[in-house]
Amino acid sequence: MSNLGFALEGAWKVLLAGLILGAGLPAIFALGIRSMAFGAGGDTEVDHAAPHPAGRVIAYVLFALVVLIALLGIVFIVASGFGKALSFEHIYPTIVDK
Amino acid sequence: MTETTVILVLVVITALGFDFTNGFHDTANAMATSIATGALRPKVAVALSGILNLIGAFLSVEVALTVSNAVVRIQNSDGTPKESLTSDGGTALLLIVLAGLVGSIVWNLLTWLLGLPSSSSHALFGGLIGATIAGLGWAGVNWNGDGSKLDGVVGKVILPALMSPVIAGVVAAVGTWIIYRVTVGVAARFTDNGFRWGQIGSASLVSLAHGTNDAQKTMGVITLALIASGEWTDTKNIPFWVKASCALAIALGTYLGGWRIIRTLGKGLVEIAPPQGMAAESASAAVILASSHLGFALSTTHVATGSILGSGVGKPGAQVRWRVAGRMVLAWLITLPSAAVVGALMWFIGDAIGGLAGALVIFLILLAAAGYMYWHSRKTPVDHNNVNDEWDETAERREPAGTAA
Repeated sequence: MSNLGFALEGAWKVLLAGLILGAGLPAIFALGIRSMAFGAGGDTEVDHAAPHPAGRVIAYVLFALVVLIALLGIVFIVASGFGKALSFEHIYPTIVDK
Repeated sequence: MTETTVILVLVVITALGFDFTNGFHDTANAMATSIATGALRPKVAVALSGILNLIGAFLSVEVALTVSNAVVRIQNSDGTPKESLTSDGGTALLLIVLAGLVGSIVWNLLTWLLGLPSSSSHALFGGLIGATIAGLGWAGVNWNGDGSKLDGVVGKVILPALMSPVIAGVVAAVGTWIIYRVTVGVAARFTDNGFRWGQIGSASLVSLAHGTNDAQKTMGVITLALIASGEWTDTKNIPFWVKASCALAIALGTYLGGWRIIRTLGKGLVEIAPPQGMAAESASAAVILASSHLGFALSTTHVATGSILGSGVGKPGAQVRWRVAGRMVLAWLITLPSAAVVGALMWFIGDAIGGLAGALVIFLILLAAAGYMYWHSRKTPVDHNNVNDEWDETAERREPAGTAA
């Protein structure tokens, strides 16, 4: 296979991972923001009413999810730097030798 | 001290100098959007990015000795230098590396002066390629690999450079579009503050990834020079002082901040709002991490620029200054050949004079060029005070007579 073939093979994987993590996480985060504002006025609000507390709870759950996945990203960088890899074979992530 | 030792010291100083320029050239990749939207004050942003680069550089323990192997043939496959280049005590190889580094730094400084976010990796590879062609001829360069994996100048440098900005741009555009769809109608008091926090988080991730990716290139080059001159023999590890000094150099460079480039990326391309900033940095972080995991070498600069452009494309009604983008693409195209020309020129000068004197002369040329460009930059300083000033495109254009206010 030529370099172009290898590059295209790598490129679509990067694109896929990028879309899932790089666009998916911000989407979850945006849902959190939307949830945060649940019950409050829209972008033309005049009363500045307090949002519904349930929205806030859901928002924090969503933010926590984003932070958790981002932290896994950091662990991933560190682990691969030390010749380790992240494994999900126990469902929760564990650090294993490469 | 022998002549070789003195040349080695010059190589180490120059390599750390390159690492430093690598730092300030790339501060913008992570922090331009956060500075532009006011999520972080400029000084806080560069300090945070510097610290994360420092940490990131220490986390990169993978041996980066073979980093130059992908493009030039000055090493064996285990990372040791070719014997033919070390027969004279290593000066032949040291001269190639020194000339290459000078080419990289000169190009990095010139593009910084022009405020263009060019790739530091391309500058480094370009400089080394140029010096290698000068020293060893065309066959000294690994143009296309051997067809068994993504390799060579084409596979490791050119193709990723063409593809990565597009990938990052698509991801950022999709992310931006989704964010605006999801939060349509939500009051600004919720969106602006929330997305600023998201931006800070994603920009931090980019800084960390930058430290791990870029600092190790310089570590590899310095270790190669140490092995060539017989000061180090272990090809599996790098000396701790090399790691520490490279980490410090890139962190200090990042902290200094390439304000000119931050301004171009943060204000010049797109007027960035916090949701776009978050989408752009998340896209950059995801693409950089995914590709380093898959061994798809790319430049953080190309990714960051593609992401920011994408965030402009993805926001309904946003304006993208394609003229600025065009200037950047032009800079990307000529970075590798330009650094190569300077690298080759430096090798010819160094070789013609020969020995220690030759190395000293090209080192002095570097100092003179750097000093001149720094002096030139002081005429129109860009720093943390004016980095966010309104982007006035007419100021760059040749103004028709009579229209200047």
